[in-house]
Amino acid sequence: MSSTPILEIRDLKKYFPVRKGFLSFLGGQRYVHAVDGVTFSVQPGDSLVIAGESGSGKTTLARTILRLIEPTAGSIRFQNEDVVAMTPEELRPFRQKMQLIFQNPFEAIDPRHTIHEVVSEPLVILDPGSTEDERESRVLSALEDVRLIPADDFARRYPHELSGGQLQRVAIARSLIVNPTLVIADEPVSMLDASIRTEIMNLMSDLQKEYGLTYIFITHDLAQARYIGEYIIILYLGRIMEMGPMEEVLQDPIHPYTQALISNVPVPDPTEERDRIDIPGETPTPIDLPPECRFRPRCQDFDELCSEDEPVLHQVSEDRFVACHGWEARRKKKHKLTYSSDTK
Amino acid sequence: MPMLDVKNLVTHYFLGQEAVSAVEDVSFTIEQGETLGLAGESGCGKTTTAYSIMRLLAENGQIIRGQILLDGEDLTQKTEKQMRKIRWRDVSIVFQYAMNAFNPVLKIGKQIIEVIRDKEDVTKTVAEERVKALFEEVGLEPERIYDYPHEFSGGMRQRAIIAQALALEPKLIIADEPVTALDVIVQNKILELLSELQERYKLGVLLITHDLSVVAENSDKVGIMYAGMLMETGTATEVFKETLHPYTYKLIGAFPSVSGPKHRLEFIPGTPPNLLNPPSGCRFHPRCPWAQAICVKSVPDYRDLGKGHFVACHFAGELNFEEVPK
Repeated sequence: MSSTPILEIRDLKKYFPVRKGFLSFLGGQRYVHAVDGVTFSVQPGDSLVIAGESGSGKTTLARTILRLIEPTAGSIRFQNEDVVAMTPEELRPFRQKMQLIFQNPFEAIDPRHTIHEVVSEPLVILDPGSTEDERESRVLSALEDVRLIPADDFARRYPHELSGGQLQRVAIARSLIVNPTLVIADEPVSMLDASIRTEIMNLMSDLQKEYGLTYIFITHDLAQARYIGEYIIILYLGRIMEMGPMEEVLQDPIHPYTQALISNVPVPDPTEERDRIDIPGETPTPIDLPPECRFRPRCQDFDELCSEDEPVLHQVSEDRFVACHGWEARRKKKHKLTYSSDTK
Repeated sequence: MPMLDVKNLVTHYFLGQEAVSAVEDVSFTIEQGETLGLAGESGCGKTTTAYSIMRLLAENGQIIRGQILLDGEDLTQKTEKQMRKIRWRDVSIVFQYAMNAFNPVLKIGKQIIEVIRDKEDVTKTVAEERVKALFEEVGLEPERIYDYPHEFSGGMRQRAIIAQALALEPKLIIADEPVTALDVIVQNKILELLSELQERYKLGVLLITHDLSVVAENSDKVGIMYAGMLMETGTATEVFKETLHPYTYKLIGAFPSVSGPKHRLEFIPGTPPNLLNPPSGCRFHPRCPWAQAICVKSVPDYRDLGKGHFVACHFAGELNFEEVPK
């Protein structure tokens, strides 16, 4: 990671106030620390996966980066411009360069509009100077880009006439029509059946090459993550636990949370023997966190330091980082996840 | 004799004069203590199969033909009154959305007590003690029976649902996407709990899910459904490692794995058919790369190609999946 990053996030925080209830005068305002000090950067042309369980803050992080919600603290730099300082007028061209694709196309697309109206809407808003004819031809070429052919036929249809996979293509066409540089996709295939997921993922990867796009994928599914990105960030309670190249992190995780998480992902092979690492409890809500490692209450391998001090991201190798005090000791123990597979 | 024996089940939904062929000629068995994982994509009929067994079909749904034998008794012939006695006591169901399975304004314990008292003539105190014992069994603190559903996390709610399903000691549990909304760590805890209970009580389990990984890891036998029909059934190893049906092969190939070598993921061009007007012959033929003229004309028999490895394909055992004809 040496060239100039397209996106640089520094110590980003997003706190939501907890709704006050009866007796709230007894204490001060409490906050949910949805995103709590996140730092990373993305190089142009990369595809980065931000993975985490529900409540990890992955969707809040994506929305904060786009300033769909205002950050509490920290900096966001996109193509070297300070996104946090932008006024609403300045945000407009920026939004054109940074597009979001939602998980559920059935909810993200207005059922009363034709596909043409759905896809041309961002142009109307972000490029009000464009003429009807210009918009028409751009809609058709965007639909062709996502392989909805014949495009003029699809453009006339209504959302209910399309399948889930076709609708997600429409959503992709809508985000690409304004020529973005960065596309953030929040679980873009998790609503779709397995047999059509790959088609959408292949399409997105073709479009990435064709238009030099940079992707950030948000997902809870680590198996899917493996097939969509080169880098991965593992998020837990609003903080990065581990990040690095996809295969390295998945095949040789360092953080105890990452290790447990990966060991629990089911695999589509009944003969594969896997060692499951069990961790107690469920992910809590990050309110009033004590000054300790936030994974410590569920960690099977902690020492004193872990309850005294929240670990920062340590650099393990050129582009691998882990937020764990005990990583070096554990590396020496060579505690590795080994997968054995007795294929007959 | 198998505990559950579903024979040539046909279930349709009626939209005015038209019939949606949601389940067509489906047959399978479940033995005591055995898990059958029923997998397939949305709209393949797996949930309709479950609801047919429970006789909980929507108003416009109807079992047209076939038998559902539970310990030899045909559930399709039961009246609604008789079914009310069978549900929960002989067969119970664990729903996908733990969020919606409980009434939000009633304490969870109370709702399970009601289920028990509806079927058995016991006092409230006895029922309450039983629910507490059930809670312990599924890994919940007994005192939590006095909590409301919103005070439970997703995983805890799923445990409570399992407690409810077990309340009347059924022989068969239908688990319809029991872990789909849960994160993987909790997901495994729930699946482990199910398998422990299954062993302890020799339960038969029909595990319904769209996730082949969950099926692969948690089933003795696996059935793959497509467009309302069973394409292939066998032991988990047979279906995953000695695959006979092209659809099974393609579907498994579409599933990513977090471990092992990174293979190229498959996809199946086209979309599942509209079941108002299903394709002639083999329902998979429009999307099957190996389809021949006969596949368009005649419905393949669902036949046993080994000891219990069933497949519905004219060319089962003759295809080389590595080579796609052009």
